[in-house]
Amino acid sequence: MAKNNQSKEAYYVASQWQLMGRKLKQHKLARISMVILGILYFFALFGNFIAPYGTIEFDSIYKDSSPTKIHLYHEGEKVGPFVYKLSKISDKKTLRVTISEDTSEYYPVHFFTHGEPYKVLGFIPCDLHLFGVGEGSSGGKGARIYLFGGDSLGRDIFSRIFLGSQISLTIPFVAAAISLFLGVLLGAVSGYFGGRVDFIIQRLIEVISAVPQIPLWLALSAAIPAGISTIQIYFYMTIILSFINWTGMARTVRGKFLSLKNEDFIMAAQLSGVSTWNIIWTHMVPGFLSYLIVSVTRSIPSSIIGETSMSYLGLGIKPPATSWGVMLQETSSVTNIVSHPNKLIPIIFVTVTVLAFNFFGDGLRDAADPYK
Amino acid sequence: MAFHSHPSLKEMLMNGEKTKETTGFWEDVKSFFRSDLVSYIIKRILAIFPSLLLISFVIFIVIQLPPGDYVSAYIAKLQGQGEQMPPEVIAQLREDFDLDKPFLLQYWSWIKGIIWTPSNTSWYRLYHSHHNWKYSFSEGKPVWTVIKEYLPLTVGLTLSVMIFQYLVSIPLAVYSATHQYSLGDYLLSFIGFIGAAVPGFILAIICMVLAYKWTGNPMVGLFSKEMLENGIHWNNLGEFLKRLIIPFIVLGLGGTCGTIRSIRAQMLDEISQPYTLTARAKGVSESKIIWKYCFRAAINPTVTSLGTSLSHLFSGSTVSAMVLNIMILGPVLYEALLSQDMYLAGAIVMVQAFLVEVGILLADIGLAFLDPRIRFSGGSR
Amino acid sequence: MDENSILEIKDLNISISMHEGLLTPVRGVNFDMKKGETVGLVGESGCGKSLTCRAILAINDKKCRASGKILYNSDEKGEIDLLMLDPRGKDIRAIRGKDIAMIFQEPMVAFSPLYTIGNQITEATLLHITKDKQKAKEISLDVMKKVGIANAEKRYNQYPHEFSGGMLQRAMISMALVCNPKILIADEPTTALDVTIQAQILELMKEMQKDFNMGILFITHDLGVVAKMCDRVNVMYLGKIVESGTTEKIYEDPEHPYTRGLMGSVHKIGQKKTERLFSIEGTVPLAMNLPRACGFYERCDARIEGLCDREEPDLVEVAPEHCVACFACPHPACQAQRAAAEEMIRREDGRTGGKRG
Repeated sequence: MAKNNQSKEAYYVASQWQLMGRKLKQHKLARISMVILGILYFFALFGNFIAPYGTIEFDSIYKDSSPTKIHLYHEGEKVGPFVYKLSKISDKKTLRVTISEDTSEYYPVHFFTHGEPYKVLGFIPCDLHLFGVGEGSSGGKGARIYLFGGDSLGRDIFSRIFLGSQISLTIPFVAAAISLFLGVLLGAVSGYFGGRVDFIIQRLIEVISAVPQIPLWLALSAAIPAGISTIQIYFYMTIILSFINWTGMARTVRGKFLSLKNEDFIMAAQLSGVSTWNIIWTHMVPGFLSYLIVSVTRSIPSSIIGETSMSYLGLGIKPPATSWGVMLQETSSVTNIVSHPNKLIPIIFVTVTVLAFNFFGDGLRDAADPYK
Repeated sequence: MAFHSHPSLKEMLMNGEKTKETTGFWEDVKSFFRSDLVSYIIKRILAIFPSLLLISFVIFIVIQLPPGDYVSAYIAKLQGQGEQMPPEVIAQLREDFDLDKPFLLQYWSWIKGIIWTPSNTSWYRLYHSHHNWKYSFSEGKPVWTVIKEYLPLTVGLTLSVMIFQYLVSIPLAVYSATHQYSLGDYLLSFIGFIGAAVPGFILAIICMVLAYKWTGNPMVGLFSKEMLENGIHWNNLGEFLKRLIIPFIVLGLGGTCGTIRSIRAQMLDEISQPYTLTARAKGVSESKIIWKYCFRAAINPTVTSLGTSLSHLFSGSTVSAMVLNIMILGPVLYEALLSQDMYLAGAIVMVQAFLVEVGILLADIGLAFLDPRIRFSGGSR
Repeated sequence: MDENSILEIKDLNISISMHEGLLTPVRGVNFDMKKGETVGLVGESGCGKSLTCRAILAINDKKCRASGKILYNSDEKGEIDLLMLDPRGKDIRAIRGKDIAMIFQEPMVAFSPLYTIGNQITEATLLHITKDKQKAKEISLDVMKKVGIANAEKRYNQYPHEFSGGMLQRAMISMALVCNPKILIADEPTTALDVTIQAQILELMKEMQKDFNMGILFITHDLGVVAKMCDRVNVMYLGKIVESGTTEKIYEDPEHPYTRGLMGSVHKIGQKKTERLFSIEGTVPLAMNLPRACGFYERCDARIEGLCDREEPDLVEVAPEHCVACFACPHPACQAQRAAAEEMIRREDGRTGGKRG
């Protein structure tokens, strides 16, 4: 009997976070999305290692090439995974030059090879790559492995997707962090002080959210000066994206502040002499932290779309740096895509990421709602 | 149904008639303005002006953000074309655009250009500015002339996509809510999720590729060359309608899916309300409970979000229209931004924001008609 | 069915299948109502009283499965088993609101906020009495005046948010009475109201009962209200009726420990301030995967270990118009039931013990 009571107690004292985690686990789509996002971010973190080539490495012979075929048998003999080199072959009769596989020698695919040097996490120099192509069977050079094919300049789409994800997947996060800061600050000020301050901040939020998001982002992107480094552009973009996103968070914070302010437990804390600062941090913030996290998560998909749109239009990240938006510039010609459908692969990545964040955000929202 | 739901409005009008017989015209007018609904609407219309002022201020800041100023961008453009500009012309330009004045004065001179000045008044002659909203050098015309050119198509397309959205989503949402956990509900929820999440311009690219693969024509642009020359008539109407399919799907899918999701959730909420039980206990039929009670209550949030969905539509259509080559304001904004033609860019954002504000206003007024509680409490957003 | 009976509920079971198992909030409820009489259904929240009364009108959620019989004795159509009718069909809809009307606990949410009170009251009139809108309005206004809504013409065009709680409950009563029903089901009609308003509403209901000559099924957890209103009382616990009888019998001579507990938790005038009100320990258990035991076992102060946790007592008549379901009750009928149950347990133990041995 006593034991039974204890297990009951244990259930009742499960913290808000435990309850949220439990509910999130029940949300199947959110769980799958979490795994997908985990994989994507893992790949972004180790993008340089996974990508066999750098962002600007190119080979004009691989221009618009379809995904490199990986073979196992060379002249009827099994030699393990290998690729053939692409080379120009001119037809002596018609004098037409075609590009096709040169089957005279094979280039085995190696794992953990040395290639383009890079820095792990930005500071450890390294040149190890997950895979790459070695020397040919008769000592030839210049074969490449382009798993997703080459773009219009002969660069590796596969490498560029993972290297681009380092920008595309992190900008929303940095933007979310900035807007979180702004949102909490202004929302708390608005909700706590009320009156005229509240009125002004609320009108500002109203006005900013009345202006269509993407046009405003685009207009703001005109403020990015020309000829600055990629890191500076990155920084500008996060600020531009958070310029709109903070409004949602400020609304959440303010709403929760207002509703919590009149709760009995806040009154009880005030009556027992707890300081204002303490009330805010120990009693109010934990009360809406979960909502805040939901709000942050749900702002991310639109930031991804924002970055992708801006870069796609050439108003955001600019070459030589790459992001998924920059890669989508390749899709502007319909006829080109139809003959090279592999150029649509970045679209899959953008869509899957946005979907995953949406599902995850919905799962979080449901989990954070104590009445569901 | 729609009629006996607004007895207070009817009563209001009837009262007006009664007072007409006994008292004067002004009494009548006064009583009209004193009624809840009318005073609410007037308050709401007046509230739009400060909002617009604030929006214009924010947008003017955005205009001023780019490094350098308008004239230097203009000169850079001319230099790019190999033209040189004499310094006195530059000085004249700077004066015309009030560039050397303090920020607030510049703002005032810009805002003055927004307010339309009728050309036959003395006021116009006094303060006449050659360029309403200033001059767009990328288009070589005054900004308002450029906007006027693209506005009808923008508004027309946006409105028809919006109507399309509601026509499609309302019946589907009600079906989904009344058949919760059925196969159709699951299917709609799934499509709704995907549709609301896929970015519009990516959908546009995919649609174009598919159209090209299936028909050999990517269906780019709303009008074919032939239509632009001869206008739309019976012979090319079919072609025109075909060209509308992709834009409607691309621009409308996100909003449709969002509306389905929100109405469905709202309907489910309303279906579980105690008043459905009361109605059922009275002997009201299920379909009447759904339509008279639940649906009427469930569309209120949708009406409220009319302005927001207009904003989303402008937002989503900006890049999609570029991909689909539809000449509405979005692509013009892009062209303007590329050449740092900030007056045009700012004006376009301002026009869109204005339309959204009008949308919000109409939504609030519509809601006041639909929901008696709004009128009573003076309304809140 | 008795000539005088207008409603008879026989062996009503309601179950809801959930992920965690089968929930049976109502388990074999029997009672009846005579014409013009007020029957009380008393119990704590969660004991199944609301489900029972909603089952009569078949307005429970689709998830609820009801079995048993709910016989309604209609003047025109004779005896009807309401459970046999299609819950979305025309037949039951013709009975709802017309023959059997219902008023709800929270008047504030029981009206749709989007339509005027008049519209919602007249809706019932239009459905059951007349198609003529003007006539329907007149009838509604008439009833509204009868239930004491002052300025009824003006009130008719007002919205629920312009009414006070007590006024709304009056409006709801007028909505229920507008078609002159034979039975009024009142599901805790005064719980959400102030005490003074409560008394007014109860008084009004009594008056209306006389005027309209209807039977009232009064659902409440408030024994004070029951004493004021009801002719007969059924005490419900965990989906079962544990004691039933005329109001005087129940109040003078409560036999079931649960009924006694309920009585003890009512404040009596003249009680000393220092004296604590009696309270029943614990809460109503969840009616899921119930063991074969008296549902009140864990909270009972008269429980017999080894018996009450092994068998469940049936409702037996201890006096005319007084039934109890308890092994601990000293009455001969209950003792006979107890002896039989003990005999059963002994035999069962003997069997398992024998096997072990």
